[in-house]
Amino acid sequence: MTTTTNEVGAPRVRSSVHRRERLRSPAGLPWILPAMLFSVGILYYCLLYTGYISTLDWDGASPLQVNVGAANYARMLKDHVFWGSLWHTAAFFVVTFTVQVALGITFACLLHSRLYLRTLYKVLIFIPVVLSTATTAPVFRQIFAPDGELNNFLRAVGLETLAHPWFANGTIALIIIMGVQIWQSTGVVSVLYFAAISHIEPDVIEAARIDGAGNMRIISSIVWPGVRGTTIAIAILTAIGSLKTFDIPFLITGGGPSYATEFFGTQIYRVSVSLSQVGYGAALSVVLLVLAISAAIVINAGGRRGGRADV
Amino acid sequence: MSLSRKPGPCADAEAASDTARISAGAAPHESSVAQRRKRSRLRRASLTRRAARTTIAVGALASVGLTGCGGGATSNNGGSATVGNITWWSWTPDNDLAAREIAAFNKQYPQIKVTYKKVPIDNYAAILKPALASKDGPDVYTVNASGRFSAEAFAPYAYDLTSDVKRLLGDDWQSKVYADGAKAFTVKGRLVAAEWAKVGAGIVWINKGLFDKYRLQPPQTMGDWVSVCRTFRANGHGCLREGLAGTSGFVVDTLHSIADSVEPGAWKAAVDGQKKWTDPALVQSLQILQTMSKNGILDEGAVGIQQYPDVNNAFLSGKVPMVQMGTWYQQYATVNSLTAALQGAGVAQDTEKITILPIAFPDIAGKGNPSPLFADPDAGQSVNAKSKARNAAVTFALWLGHTKEGQQVVADNMDSFPTLTGVAPNFDSIQLVNPGLQRPALQDVSERLLQATEARSVGISAALNQGIIDGCQAVVSGKSPSDAAATIQSAADSSR
Repeated sequence: MTTTTNEVGAPRVRSSVHRRERLRSPAGLPWILPAMLFSVGILYYCLLYTGYISTLDWDGASPLQVNVGAANYARMLKDHVFWGSLWHTAAFFVVTFTVQVALGITFACLLHSRLYLRTLYKVLIFIPVVLSTATTAPVFRQIFAPDGELNNFLRAVGLETLAHPWFANGTIALIIIMGVQIWQSTGVVSVLYFAAISHIEPDVIEAARIDGAGNMRIISSIVWPGVRGTTIAIAILTAIGSLKTFDIPFLITGGGPSYATEFFGTQIYRVSVSLSQVGYGAALSVVLLVLAISAAIVINAGGRRGGRADV
Repeated sequence: MSLSRKPGPCADAEAASDTARISAGAAPHESSVAQRRKRSRLRRASLTRRAARTTIAVGALASVGLTGCGGGATSNNGGSATVGNITWWSWTPDNDLAAREIAAFNKQYPQIKVTYKKVPIDNYAAILKPALASKDGPDVYTVNASGRFSAEAFAPYAYDLTSDVKRLLGDDWQSKVYADGAKAFTVKGRLVAAEWAKVGAGIVWINKGLFDKYRLQPPQTMGDWVSVCRTFRANGHGCLREGLAGTSGFVVDTLHSIADSVEPGAWKAAVDGQKKWTDPALVQSLQILQTMSKNGILDEGAVGIQQYPDVNNAFLSGKVPMVQMGTWYQQYATVNSLTAALQGAGVAQDTEKITILPIAFPDIAGKGNPSPLFADPDAGQSVNAKSKARNAAVTFALWLGHTKEGQQVVADNMDSFPTLTGVAPNFDSIQLVNPGLQRPALQDVSERLLQATEARSVGISAALNQGIIDGCQAVVSGKSPSDAAATIQSAADSSR
């Protein structure tokens, strides 16, 4: 009996003891501790150190570091290049996201249809993704140069009046930068949509066809809602990618003319390296981090709300 | 064969636990739960200890590694002064010129192997800074007299060359070299770089062949210049091509020349802070720059192209008749350097070599003011204080800038002017593309450089330099010269 009583009562006692022990000392802690200390040590220490540097007036090499508090952040508010970078980033995100999604879903739908030489088209769409910007940037610089291929072509076909020093116009230079990004990233977006569309039940599409739905109706009413999760993921990736944009403007326009293609990445580099204002560069980096995290949270939350509304 | 099991780390604790349980006389089920709890705690404690030990070991290893990476000051004695392998990083000279200098050095010091790495000027500071912070930086690195990669900016990494240069040239060494260079490279009493060459700007380079082809004379006034450019454009050429994109700031030289034409001394006064950049003379200079972009002197699209490689390649390959470059450009009057530059630009080897000539910057303001050259110590060679071959590096740096043999190679390379007194280019040994025309013109530039009274970039901070570039880009893009002047003044204020 005693034994029975013990066996019956034991689990209750044991479970409460275990719960207390779990709370006191999480079971997996010893196992994750080294990795956690390493990542916290490296990553979060760097973040905190960047935050600390953002309060300094420092050139990055000199032993002289002057603490200026929030002065670098106050300077940012008055810096028209910072606001320009913010505006360029926002415009860059909206345009590249919209065009990439439109092209990506179009290519994905076409590749799901009975298309001749489908594999070849897949390769052609994806090739720009694997080309490094360092390789393609000089090509774009040459195409849009005053004596470049585009102007030569326009002159050759009698459209000399349209020939233009393209990179000398800020708006056009920004459009070119967006175009290069779209050219380079559409392949990935297409692949993501291609995979997402594969998960839509063919029966649903078949049923819609029997009901008389055309291609556009199927795309808007079945495919588009069916790939919502992919679209949200692409939006988050594009938003963070836009905030981190560096290589394309740096290598093609250098952020010019007159900062017309300046982004956070190019501004942080120019300020920290060219001008040796490491404190101000760190302040810009901190703001960039906050914006990237905020963008991911907002887009994710927006996507979830949209998903619930659909249900 | 019998396997004996060694007691584990918990064995003693478990035994102690058992003893404690018996002596306490605990009830059976309570004793069982307590025992399990204790065992569990002990096991966890053991795991935690093990994890802590692992963490400490990893941390210790990491800190050892990081300490190694941090590369504090080395305690090496610098090695041999005549034997060793050293690396030299710089943005200048071109590879072929550096190879000649190293070859001449190796005639005297065959056992010091020098590896030259040419770094693009726009990224030089960005690449050099982390390299010097590590333990794998270059043994010798070139610094400028001012600006983004000035001797002052990189002084913390440099070895003090004072005693070595005194040993080589004597206590009065400063009287034997270009005085401004010695001053520029001395930071807080330490000689942090051995001056190597001086450089001037304030001249325009023309393609003589194109001028002859259209029977044109080099322009001397704004009117001449407009007329010359009209002819060139009518024949499908550009005219004065200048790259305002990027951070190199060659347009600063152009604005300086214009300012000298408007009011001699105004530029220097503004740099020294004795005059505002919003002064009428400087606003007028910006206005003239804007006019040059509107009346066809300056090629369209200047704000979207870079001086290197865009403008340089277009001029050397014969597409463009005029560029504003400094005295470093005289190297392309020589057959060897021009051939190397054309090969580097991907131009066919059989392309006709152009005859480049320096001309005075035209009297663009029409006030009859002279068009002077402005000069700077071009660069100096710093020796990395952490270098394991420091003494060999010192030998090379001083040989290049403070011996007659080294300076003669620098002079004959025609890239920069020597700084050691008594050394001049030996034109008899230099193969020019068109000696009859080029030799007197280059000798004239040498003489004018000696008369230079204004500095080219010394005194202009990185922020002010960027401000001037921004102002110039703004006026060429059609913005108001007054607003551009205010932008420059704001940069000047922020850098003080």
